[in-house]
Amino acid sequence: MTTPERPTVPPQTTGTDGTGEPGGAGEDGDGVPVLAGAGTDPRRVRRFWSVRRIPAALVAAVVLGGTGLLLYDVAAVRADRDAMSWRRELADDLAGRPLDDGLTVAAAAVAVLLGVWLLVLASTPGLRAVLPMRRAHPDVRAGLDREAAALALRDRAMEVSGVQSVKVRMGRAKVAVRAVSHFRPLDEVRADVERVLTDGVEDLGLARPPALTVRVDRPSKKG
Amino acid sequence: MNAPVAAVLRRVNRTLLGLAGLLLVVAGGAVLAAAFDLAVPSWWPWSGPDDVLLTAARRQRWRDEGWWWPTVIAVLGVVVLLALWWLLAQFRRGRLAEVLVDTGDGDAAVLRGRALEGVLEADATAQEGVAQARVALTGRRTAPRTRIALLLEPYASPGQALAGLGGEALDRARTSAGLAELPTEARLRAVKHRARRVN
Repeated sequence: MTTPERPTVPPQTTGTDGTGEPGGAGEDGDGVPVLAGAGTDPRRVRRFWSVRRIPAALVAAVVLGGTGLLLYDVAAVRADRDAMSWRRELADDLAGRPLDDGLTVAAAAVAVLLGVWLLVLASTPGLRAVLPMRRAHPDVRAGLDREAAALALRDRAMEVSGVQSVKVRMGRAKVAVRAVSHFRPLDEVRADVERVLTDGVEDLGLARPPALTVRVDRPSKKG
Repeated sequence: MNAPVAAVLRRVNRTLLGLAGLLLVVAGGAVLAAAFDLAVPSWWPWSGPDDVLLTAARRQRWRDEGWWWPTVIAVLGVVVLLALWWLLAQFRRGRLAEVLVDTGDGDAAVLRGRALEGVLEADATAQEGVAQARVALTGRRTAPRTRIALLLEPYASPGQALAGLGGEALDRARTSAGLAELPTEARLRAVKHRARRVN
């Protein structure tokens, strides 16, 4: 899996600068990022960031359950009732089990792994299935499903004469197409598929068009 | 800037998830360091492999102080309430019931959110290449936003479908509701279909 590079802002030419301030802003080093960060520049497209509802709901439920149970029991003991047996057992266990006991070490290791996982969830965008699209309109942020992009490219490639079947592997930065051709010279078919798919990738309207690799083979002989 | 509800929730979720993760890593790492007899400083909560997680003496350290149990109960109560709020926030979709339309003569009219959603859905579906559209109005009454899910028909061009949505469909929604802008998040999917040979 590859991580996509940050979108590069093409160098602004003062002539097409739509901000009404020719000259000054384009050459001044720190003026450009401010303009680009305004959010209306159609060339600047950020990835979609997941809200992380499911992990948040799970962590919230675990915290709620744990503290709720403890709160109930603490309050019950304050009201002169007996503590639940799990609390007594847990307290005995915490006070009796040495740190190098297998269970303690395993629990600590699980906690570290879980913590790393939560940190990864918190700091990565997620939504790897969504490819950001070019901003045609300043109000609209759009994303195309990877699967939809793969289907569109497959359909395009199938239209080439001589192509029997097509497999498309759509990555975030690369798309690998494998076609099987049952007639016409392979070179011609490959050239046609490449030409058609170059248009096809452009037609997807993606902010960062993926790099295209095409492979064309003959069908394998049936045994 | 009025951040949309989803963006606020996203920031809250990610901050709290990161905090929980950090807590787990630090606590687990501290226990592991002591358990494997690494050279830990003297203030480390655990001194070595023979130490235990929580001794009875440490657990009962403040038990006889008058402030201890009220504090414990208050802290637990706050944590329970925050966790409950955090959990319930995940299930709120923040859908807008109505939009305030400025009529231009000092009055304000109210447009039902479902009506605007319906119109947008119809307009988006009417485009060529769009099989189905689902629209959800979010944001606030005076500054609504939309989330649109488009299902593309086989052989539709994603770029063109998006251009049609951003141009015509949203333009009409904007003018009919008298909005200067209608920020939109669109997600395009495709109807699954088999490959068709043309030769």
